[in-house]
Amino acid sequence: MKKEKKDNPLGALKDTLMGFMVHSHVTSLLKMKTYTEYLFMIMTMGDMLGMPLLPPYYSLRLLPYMVPNIKSWKLRMLRDRDVTDIVVG
Amino acid sequence: MIYSKYVDKKIWATDPNRPTPAKLYTDGVEYFPVSRYVLYGYQFKSVAALGPIVGPIVATAFYGWLPALIWLIVGNFFIGWVQDYSAMMMSVRNEGRSMGPIAYNLMGDRVRKILLVYIMIYLIIITAVFAWVIVDTLNRIVGTFIPVIFILFMGAIFGHLVFRLKVDILIATIIAIIVVFAGIILVATFPQIQVPPVNFLDPKLGTTTTWPGSLTVLFWLFLLAIIYYIAASTPMPRFLLPTIFVGFLPTIIALILVIIAALFTPLTGLSMAQAAVKNLWITDPSVFQSGPIWPILFVTIACGAISGWHSLISSGLSSKQLEYETDARPVGGGAMITEGIVGLSSVAAVAILAGSIGAATNYAQGAGKLTSALIGISSTGMTLFYSVFIVVMGLITSMLFVRVWRNVAAELFEKSIFGNKHVAIIVMLIVMIFLAFTGSWTNLWIYFGGTNQLLAGLALLLVAVYLASQKRPTAYVFIPGIFMAITTVAALVWETYVYANFLFANKPLGPQTNVAKVFGQTAVQISNGFSAVLGAVLAVLGVIMTTYLILGYFRYRREKAKSA
Repeated sequence: MKKEKKDNPLGALKDTLMGFMVHSHVTSLLKMKTYTEYLFMIMTMGDMLGMPLLPPYYSLRLLPYMVPNIKSWKLRMLRDRDVTDIVVG
Repeated sequence: MIYSKYVDKKIWATDPNRPTPAKLYTDGVEYFPVSRYVLYGYQFKSVAALGPIVGPIVATAFYGWLPALIWLIVGNFFIGWVQDYSAMMMSVRNEGRSMGPIAYNLMGDRVRKILLVYIMIYLIIITAVFAWVIVDTLNRIVGTFIPVIFILFMGAIFGHLVFRLKVDILIATIIAIIVVFAGIILVATFPQIQVPPVNFLDPKLGTTTTWPGSLTVLFWLFLLAIIYYIAASTPMPRFLLPTIFVGFLPTIIALILVIIAALFTPLTGLSMAQAAVKNLWITDPSVFQSGPIWPILFVTIACGAISGWHSLISSGLSSKQLEYETDARPVGGGAMITEGIVGLSSVAAVAILAGSIGAATNYAQGAGKLTSALIGISSTGMTLFYSVFIVVMGLITSMLFVRVWRNVAAELFEKSIFGNKHVAIIVMLIVMIFLAFTGSWTNLWIYFGGTNQLLAGLALLLVAVYLASQKRPTAYVFIPGIFMAITTVAALVWETYVYANFLFANKPLGPQTNVAKVFGQTAVQISNGFSAVLGAVLAVLGVIMTTYLILGYFRYRREKAKSA
């Protein structure tokens, strides 16, 4: 829920500069990192998508490390992908 | 303020307690809540490129500063921010979806496909137009090239320092600031290193104008193509991202400085030297090929008053990261109002210049004069600073556009050779070089404005369809949407007529005379034929799309009446 808080002018200026200078870079780098992670997820957890690339023994050994990413992986995999999303980078 | 509050509260009924897609679908990549100040900075940076600077210059040259000023203020206050804000809210209420999927949901696949074709053509035209602006500035403001080289090299080095050597970003930024400004100060201080001279490969063409079809233009265009190719084909952290970061360092200073200088003109004593109203209909083809004030003024000034590109940004990323619905007004609307201020400062910069104007170089001279009067640095030095600013802004945006084109081509032509990244980039660069090399740039600018404004009109109509489907008031988007659609289709038809007229008369347009001299009239005919066909295609697509959206709008309205 929205909290009523007073904006600190210096903090606001810093945030605006952050948005102007680096926010798009942060998003781009996050996307790159995530795509690499997804590639790893497909290699190791491909069974979930019907692509068993690794023997299940190794998939199961790796499963605990993958658990935190599975929810966002599924969300992104199932979401509509469109050219108008790509346009903004 | 009152109007935006009314729209925000009464039409969209924003509620800070309603969860936004950023909170509902958090994935830590695209969907995550971000402070409204960060988003405002991002939104402004994404929407403000060369558009709000060049458009007002061309409009002031065509019709005088007063019509430009009026359209910037009226367009921004009643149409521009409305589009940015509404596109963002529409996306927020549709799970953060962008324009394409929303169009598909409301109107079907055909409308979505036409939208995509429009975006592809838009990307080509905008890159060609910006290429011409960059080439003209590099050619005519001698010495601009060296500081730009400093920035590009610093970009590559910055990437290496931060991503490979893991140098602290603050230290790397300080090094970048020193190098970037050292380049500018060095060239401004030592005139003997201000190279190359104007039209250096075509000494016979004089030193006053950049001529399409000249070897010098071809040289600069090939250089740009190489830079774009590297930026679009290499991994982003290697060149593109750091270059954008380094390029924005002087850019942000330049923008703030020119806005302050424009506001302080009563103190610095500078006044308007251009006529308030010059023409209502330009008929002399040897000067410009613009035509009547309606519809041409409304497409000449695109960004600053209203721009379709903004709807893609608003619905593409900002809507996915909005923390509260109530943040949409300061982020979407606020960024657009700020862009309008940049547009107004551009009018101020060229309106204080006496004599003939009409190119981005005039902005550099005007902004140089404005800021020089404010801070006391020599006008020549500040002109160089602003010419570097224009080139860097153009380069950054165009590098991104070429990269976007590559990604879009990979998505659309997945199984064909055009989906290959090298082929896609090269095809785009060839078309860009052809259009910029042979074209009349003022006409190309009007095509850019036409596609951009029509995209805006279509976005407004799409919002109207969505609001009609939700049984909400629609007049505030439907009326501006219809106005923009009619105006821009009329502008595209007019430009098609201009090109077709010169094609059938077998004559070159004013600035094409050099192309005719060097390569023969056939080259001009091919260029004019291509441009006429392009204009006709854009106009027809625009009419089809507008018709679909209007029909869809009335269909939802009828359903609303029935259910009532």
